[in-house]
Amino acid sequence: MIRARLTGVGVALLGLLIFTVLIPLGIDQPGNVEHTALAPDFWPQIIAGAMMVLGALLAIRPGPDDDDDEDGGEDSGRWLHRLPGLAAALGTLFGFYALIPSLGMVVPGAALIFVLMAFGGERRWLLAAAVAAGVPLLLYAFFVHVAGIPIPLGVFETLRG
Amino acid sequence: MSEHLLEALSLFLTFQNVAILFLGVLIGAIVGAIPGMTTPMGVALALPFTFTMQPVTGILLLLGIYKGGLYGGSITAILIKAPGTPAASCTVLDGYPLTRKGEARKALDIALYASCFADFVSNLSLILLAGLLAGFALKFGPPEFFTLIVFSLTIIAGVSGRNLVKGMASAALGLLFATIGLDMVYGTNRFIFDNWNLMGGLSFIPVLIGLFALPEIIHYFAQKLSAVRETTTVSGTGAGMADFRRCFKSILRGSLIGVVLGAIPGIGGAPSAFLSYSEARRTSPNSRNFGKGELEGVAAAEAGNNGVAGATMIPLLALGVPGDVITAVILGAFMIHGLRPGPVMFVDNLPMIYALFIGIMLSSAYLLVIGKFSIRAISRISEVPNRILYPVVLVFCLFGSFAINHSMFDVLMMVLMGCVGYVMMLLRFPAPPFLIAFILGPLLEDNFRQSMILSEGGLGILVRSGICWFFWALTLLSLVLLVRSRKRNIPLSG
Repeated sequence: MIRARLTGVGVALLGLLIFTVLIPLGIDQPGNVEHTALAPDFWPQIIAGAMMVLGALLAIRPGPDDDDDEDGGEDSGRWLHRLPGLAAALGTLFGFYALIPSLGMVVPGAALIFVLMAFGGERRWLLAAAVAAGVPLLLYAFFVHVAGIPIPLGVFETLRG
Repeated sequence: MSEHLLEALSLFLTFQNVAILFLGVLIGAIVGAIPGMTTPMGVALALPFTFTMQPVTGILLLLGIYKGGLYGGSITAILIKAPGTPAASCTVLDGYPLTRKGEARKALDIALYASCFADFVSNLSLILLAGLLAGFALKFGPPEFFTLIVFSLTIIAGVSGRNLVKGMASAALGLLFATIGLDMVYGTNRFIFDNWNLMGGLSFIPVLIGLFALPEIIHYFAQKLSAVRETTTVSGTGAGMADFRRCFKSILRGSLIGVVLGAIPGIGGAPSAFLSYSEARRTSPNSRNFGKGELEGVAAAEAGNNGVAGATMIPLLALGVPGDVITAVILGAFMIHGLRPGPVMFVDNLPMIYALFIGIMLSSAYLLVIGKFSIRAISRISEVPNRILYPVVLVFCLFGSFAINHSMFDVLMMVLMGCVGYVMMLLRFPAPPFLIAFILGPLLEDNFRQSMILSEGGLGILVRSGICWFFWALTLLSLVLLVRSRKRNIPLSG
């Protein structure tokens, strides 16, 4: 219940942050706005206001939640245990993104599949290697040769046929 | 009439036409099933190949891709929670839970049956009602669009789960994300922060994939260190006649919704799918199962989505007005061949119009054949262990996100949206309201502001016509029914 109330406070604070900081900083106001409803910040302000109200409602009366643990609902103690796994998964994902400018999408893609399969418990290394190598190559072949989309290759750009 | 029909038959009945239409539907189904490859992209890529073809052959190829693509988008939505098209995102709501329950084949089957039936109804209405519906569609101005979208948004209450307030907060976030980009009226920046990648707003597909597919994958790998439990589902058995009969009302209603909305230029398949789903949920005796793996939900979403297929051709053929990006490309194909769709074409090229109608009807049958033969094999995907499937899907999504605009920024956006979706998952905020608001948000805001421009700021324009009143009344009715049903079942705050 406390977590649910804190979530409500968080939503309300997010709405407040959007209203007081993000909208003034992020939306350029033209000088010649004829009607309030046409102003570029009209909708965002309404939405931010709605978030504040909804957050307050959640904080006051959190209400029930879907109790489907499989879809992610969990108590705070349990998801602390998941932090290492979460950090590893996100690290791999952002690592992939960071490697694209230098190595393109195919090699980091293969590495991503192999690492995540190993991390997921796959111990048939030959299968893992075959899937890791095959899937990005197939996707590359499809996008480049069929769809005509230049998938980046990074330093391997010279290999492009 | 009969001589025109005979001429049309001789124009259509060539091996080349029959084969190219089949190829088009097949290509469309594959393109639609690949996240990152959109149907408009498939149609646009095929356009140059039609230059050397006969006009009927070339246009049939494009129409085949269009129709196949509408169905194909549902395959990945059902199997891996990654909708191939924005319109298929509604199919995720019940399709993926069915896959999790081991009923992937049933979900794919009913999606196919609903798609084919809706496509057939839509084609039939194109042939029989083109003139009538085109006239009705032209009565839709910004205020009518606005009230229609407001009504469509009432579905948020239906997909919010037990906590309506959280659902509405999720929708508010979706609406906010939809405002990113250049302002439509003044051309000024909104939440761009000097990043030119954001000027055109957030791309739909990276956001959809990031929000739906990625949290599931992140959650799986985050779990691995604390609870190693491999969940491999089975594809199960297919849907039978009894399932189709059970869903028939929703399929028929969805088809008709698709026909009406498809005839209105600029609406597209997504609002139609959501509206059809919402109505099915409101009227179904199994409404409590919606969102948890209800076959009728998949059927309604797919019927609404595919019901627009033939109807979008109505404004194109009857008035020469393209209703969406795909029909705009098809209009281009007509013009390349020296043809100009519109009333004159019905006089000058009637046999050709009839030949296209024959081809359009045949495409529904092709869709059924192609879908039926491929489902058994495709549904086996759900039997691949998650430790293999998820990394492959992830790379699939990363390549797909890049392919939309050839943009690394879209890849980053997909990853970031995955993080947003994961946090929402942990805090038990439902993702579907976010998605619905994100898709319908720009339509809502644009039409509201256009109305305000037309009326010089007067709100009276929002009740200017019978259509506006009709949708306001439906919205009110829908809200009253939703509040009543929630009061009966669960507290309003929940």
